[in-house]
Amino acid sequence: MKKIFILFLIPQFIFAELVLEITKGSDDPFVIALLSFDGKKALTDEVDIIINNDLKRTGEFKIIKDEKLLSSPSNEEDINFNEFKLLGIDYIVMGALESEDKFNLSASYEIYNVVSKKKIRTSKVFGIPNKIKQLSHYISDGIYEEITGIKGVASTKILYITEIAEEKKSLYELIVADADGANEQVLLKSYEPIISPAWSPDSKQVAYVSFETGIAKVYIQDIATGKRSVAIENTKQISSPSWSPNGNFLSMTMYQDGNAEIYILNLKNNNLTRLTNHYAIDTESSWSSDGSRIMFTSGRSGSPQLYEIKLRKYNSNPERITFEGNYNAKGSYLKNGDGIIFVHRADNDFKIALKYFNENFIRPLTESKLDESPSISPNGNVIIYAVTENGESLLSGLTLSGAKFRLPAKKGEVREPAWSGFLR
Amino acid sequence: MPSINNNKAQNFLFSFSFMILLSSCSSMNVTEERVYEGGIKTVEASVAEVSELDYETKAIFANATVFFEFDSYNLTSKSIQTLKSVVSVMNQNENIKITLAGHADERGTREYNLALGQRRAESVKDYFILNGINSSKVSVKSYGEERPVASGNDEMSYSKNRRVEIN
Repeated sequence: MKKIFILFLIPQFIFAELVLEITKGSDDPFVIALLSFDGKKALTDEVDIIINNDLKRTGEFKIIKDEKLLSSPSNEEDINFNEFKLLGIDYIVMGALESEDKFNLSASYEIYNVVSKKKIRTSKVFGIPNKIKQLSHYISDGIYEEITGIKGVASTKILYITEIAEEKKSLYELIVADADGANEQVLLKSYEPIISPAWSPDSKQVAYVSFETGIAKVYIQDIATGKRSVAIENTKQISSPSWSPNGNFLSMTMYQDGNAEIYILNLKNNNLTRLTNHYAIDTESSWSSDGSRIMFTSGRSGSPQLYEIKLRKYNSNPERITFEGNYNAKGSYLKNGDGIIFVHRADNDFKIALKYFNENFIRPLTESKLDESPSISPNGNVIIYAVTENGESLLSGLTLSGAKFRLPAKKGEVREPAWSGFLR
Repeated sequence: MPSINNNKAQNFLFSFSFMILLSSCSSMNVTEERVYEGGIKTVEASVAEVSELDYETKAIFANATVFFEFDSYNLTSKSIQTLKSVVSVMNQNENIKITLAGHADERGTREYNLALGQRRAESVKDYFILNGINSSKVSVKSYGEERPVASGNDEMSYSKNRRVEIN
């Protein structure tokens, strides 16, 4: 499991588009021949690039393009499998774009196993011309899951906050974008801070904290309609929303008695249940995938540390789960429940760290000075987080197979990425 | 505008996504699916209402700021000097109401810093109450790390940002 990250130092100005600083992906990557798609070149060029980037970002593929191949077959009969075997290629992917009519576009693609010399998948994706990026992500995910057996996340979305400094104030935007950072759309604009964006489990709603009334309040907003309301009417500050996996509850930090305590709001009947009761700070609650545990950050030991409460155990007391260092906060459970990722302070740097429950040490995953807000992809394989360097902030990702990437630079500061569920 | 109508029909159609595994009888997967892309609506947040300040009473009342150590909400002796003078001004004028806004530096997580800013403001409020100020005259809120006064990434800036502003 030991992974070595080799980092190239890439100057900031080239972050105009997706930067792959993949240096060490999987130790044993799948080698695939990704043949250019047939069809109108203006369209297929974009499809080829997106699929290539999507697959590269997973860190699990070594991609061989046409120019490095001995031949570029366009159908099954033309494939000389031995030729591909010679180049060490495991799989061949070929496809074509077809215009169905004026408004419909479809893509078909096939995957061949070089060793067995057999076609293992034939797929068709229907889309529309102005959503060709989404169509491409669907193809990437099909290829990824056929070869790895794991659901792909190229077709998922991320939420994040941007802050753009204007003359005397800042404009804050809550943005939803494709997992590769493209196709950004604004959900909310405000001249007061917006923090802590979170997805509903069905990815149809978002919750976030807005200061628009002068104090922090949790809002729930429907993505499609823009309809929004406060999660619960209250005169005090409320923050840090997190949805239960079944979508029925929203855990939040409330300041009823002046101090941060975690409550669970039943979204069906608006009943509130108090989860923590301590004079220290308790905040940043998050749920395990099976909904049986809630982790949170607490200052009860004298410094911020992560604790968890087992919800299905009678009278369960919070159990401390981090002991290394004097700052461990904003934890999320791994999707398989094997461990947690969180923000860890080492010396004066804040890094993203991983801890497996069966190990008594932590694994720092990042190297910058100020890394924040890790969020895990729905397939559990990728972590996206915010990096602040030289006063600039942007989004970075890393895969558990060891690949690292950066999303395109945005205008202003970019922070608090949150990964959607599967949308496909 | 027939083209617009056509687009609407498209969106309607696309809102039904489907994925069918047509066959898996052999070792080959055959799939067919349609790209789903839901709509998105942009919303603008309501503009914050300006709280009704009694500007005349505020004018005679010097705004004050007290500062804190990293991850701490304890009042320093210097802070207490500042707060003492605020208390004496408040005792001289019964009409003064104040708001305490707690802040944190950018290090650490945003939500923990929001809670920390609140604790700092509560510490100041506790001092006022201990010194005879009626709690109804003191309201408390936190901005966490969202409203820095100094934008540097060094201790000099951080120390200016770990503060409670008294207004």
